[in-house]
Amino acid sequence: MVFNEKITNPAELRHVQGRIELYWIYTSGEAGDVFFKKLRDEGKFTASKCRKCGHVFFPPRIYCEFDFSETEYMEISGEGCVLAFSVISYDSDGNRLEKPEIYALIGMDGTDGKIIHLLGEIEPENIETGMKVVPVLKPKDQREGKITDILYFKPVS
Amino acid sequence: MVRVAVVGAGYSGFNANSPDLSWKEITYEAAVRAYEDAGINPRRDIDAVVTCAEDFWEGFAIFDEFCPDQLGGVLKPTFTVTADFLFGLANGVMLIKSGLAEIAVVEAHSKASDILTFGNVVKFAYDPVWLRPVGRGHPFYLAALEKSYYSNLRGYCDYTYAEVVAKNRKNGRLNPDAPYSADLTADDVLSSEPLFYPLRKLEIAERSDGAVVFVLAKGDIARELNPEPVWIDGVGWNSETSNYDTMSFTAVYAMKAAEMAYDMAGIENPAKEIDVAEVDDRFAYKEVQHIEALKLAKAGEVDELLESGYFGRKGEIPVNVSGGSLSVGNLLEATGAQKALEIVLQLRGEAGRRQVDAEIGVAQVWRYLPTATGAVAVFSR
Ligand SMILES: [Zn+2]
Repeated sequence: MVFNEKITNPAELRHVQGRIELYWIYTSGEAGDVFFKKLRDEGKFTASKCRKCGHVFFPPRIYCEFDFSETEYMEISGEGCVLAFSVISYDSDGNRLEKPEIYALIGMDGTDGKIIHLLGEIEPENIETGMKVVPVLKPKDQREGKITDILYFKPVS
Repeated sequence: MVRVAVVGAGYSGFNANSPDLSWKEITYEAAVRAYEDAGINPRRDIDAVVTCAEDFWEGFAIFDEFCPDQLGGVLKPTFTVTADFLFGLANGVMLIKSGLAEIAVVEAHSKASDILTFGNVVKFAYDPVWLRPVGRGHPFYLAALEKSYYSNLRGYCDYTYAEVVAKNRKNGRLNPDAPYSADLTADDVLSSEPLFYPLRKLEIAERSDGAVVFVLAKGDIARELNPEPVWIDGVGWNSETSNYDTMSFTAVYAMKAAEMAYDMAGIENPAKEIDVAEVDDRFAYKEVQHIEALKLAKAGEVDELLESGYFGRKGEIPVNVSGGSLSVGNLLEATGAQKALEIVLQLRGEAGRRQVDAEIGVAQVWRYLPTATGAVAVFSR
């Protein structure tokens, strides 16, 4: 039947529309807790260093993925340099954004790690890879201990 | 040593949409064709079924419960691999090599046109604490960042990726099942707007629907079913890490997967021994990364080879002669299935007007954004 009696009138075709509405809490974990509390309360950045190989992880985590040993926390400046950037004109639903967003892969100073976050206070045509950037945080009373406490990174003026 | 062969291949599609059939019916079509191709009765002959899917692409949970019937696999050992078809193929090979099955079926499909919120499903795979809440931009930003980082590292310019797009979209013109094939030039690509700078829309594979079913058999049985089956000589898979700060952004996952598959297949010099390759090109730069990772060219030398036609349909090593995902479309977890299918058709001499001369072929797939995971399979005739 499938091969010789197909529906040829698209107006007859049926479907049902559905959606999934689901909610979670996502725990930040021990390393995330250390990072986000320090960011919220003191505006400071935390990385973690492997006790065995010395790799400095950012984002911080409690174990080293290279040799599976434990890490220790260390404070870093939160500054870094742009390793790559992209200028995005559409949101996740495919709608044009009023103003394009600039995402950047940023190498974090004093670490072997990176962050992916937004760039601000700069136009796309003025961005260069290797450019030094610093984080801009929400005012302290508005910080919630989330990655969005960092508004964006901006070039060093 | 037990050898494993592909004794049947069937597919349905590939189309930009398919509102007349449910995903199960598309799969059923592909399965009927595969069993006819293999000359077997699935209710009698198959020992195990492997399906490949990801719940979020399907829109419902516990996908594996939905799959025995349309494959003739009711009351048989069945499991789902939450990954691309090539990972399922590796599992099928293991089932047969271990002696748990003599005939095994591997399936993957895409009903991508059913997904109304594709960007959000992709974003749902991003780290919910560190990455997903950052900005409102389309998750293609991660591919754009990787393209930018990788290009700087290698010194490739946009013209190279535009050539990949032009090559693959043109190759697709000879493939009747390539809905996005087009007669494009590299200049057409370069003059299109970079909506996800530095990625242009034309560098991104659009979505498509379809299903692929393979019937695998143990060597002696394979020869009984088909005197000239296509052999699976090697399979490999690899994951780098889930962390963007330690990912290579140079497709090391594909290199490691290829090394595993080549080692199993006894391939020592891939650039000399591989006759045809289908690689993941769901973003044009990914094809370039994957050509390097499969060791079909040295790192940093793909641009010149591409320009010389080395990877063209009539070149030394045709890459994505099917038109690739850029022409056929992004088939989600069936992406590697379309690539393996093309290699099987090429090795059987059943590739029609796009037929190339090949004895050994390789299929490779990446697990899409935001992963650094992939699989490789080597086939021969
Ligand atoms: Zn370590």
